[in-house]
Amino acid sequence: MINLLSYTCIVIGLVFWYWGTWPLLGRRSVLYKLHGLSVADTLGSMAIVVGLLLRIPQEWPLLVLALISLAIWNTVLGYVLAYCSTEDSSYDG
Amino acid sequence: MTLVLIAMIGALLIPMIEALQDEDIWQRMLAFASIATKTSVMILVIAVLQDDWMIGVVGVIILSVGNAALMLLAQIIKRVNDVMDR
Repeated sequence: MINLLSYTCIVIGLVFWYWGTWPLLGRRSVLYKLHGLSVADTLGSMAIVVGLLLRIPQEWPLLVLALISLAIWNTVLGYVLAYCSTEDSSYDG
Repeated sequence: MTLVLIAMIGALLIPMIEALQDEDIWQRMLAFASIATKTSVMILVIAVLQDDWMIGVVGVIILSVGNAALMLLAQIIKRVNDVMDR
């Protein structure tokens, strides 16, 4: 049962990964790609890590640290990339 | 689990192709950020597959400090672009 649940989480994560990464190959703007990628990468990776957590519950401190750093870092990096890639922004922002 | 790993390598190929074919620096940075996240999650999956938590610790360290370098690099590229434009 737990095994099935873990596989479900991992497959959901993989679907998110493909769904968010595929638009990278298109000719859209950076901000459009960044939005899809940050949402899909963060949620997909978190779903995969939750799937692993169900599999090996005794290693929860490490995996929870991975979850927290995914949630925080990917959001911050998305913001910084969006700020840096737009033209004509002032330095005090 | 091996199938999961193969599917992950397939997902990893997409940003790699993008980084190779696109000349725009910000599109490349985006692809690199995606590659960084995907490889560190792959390291975690391999750690579970091998049942070796030394590998898992490496994956978590990359996840928690790795993106900082990309952030600093983005700031440097922006400043250099601004100076070149002036």
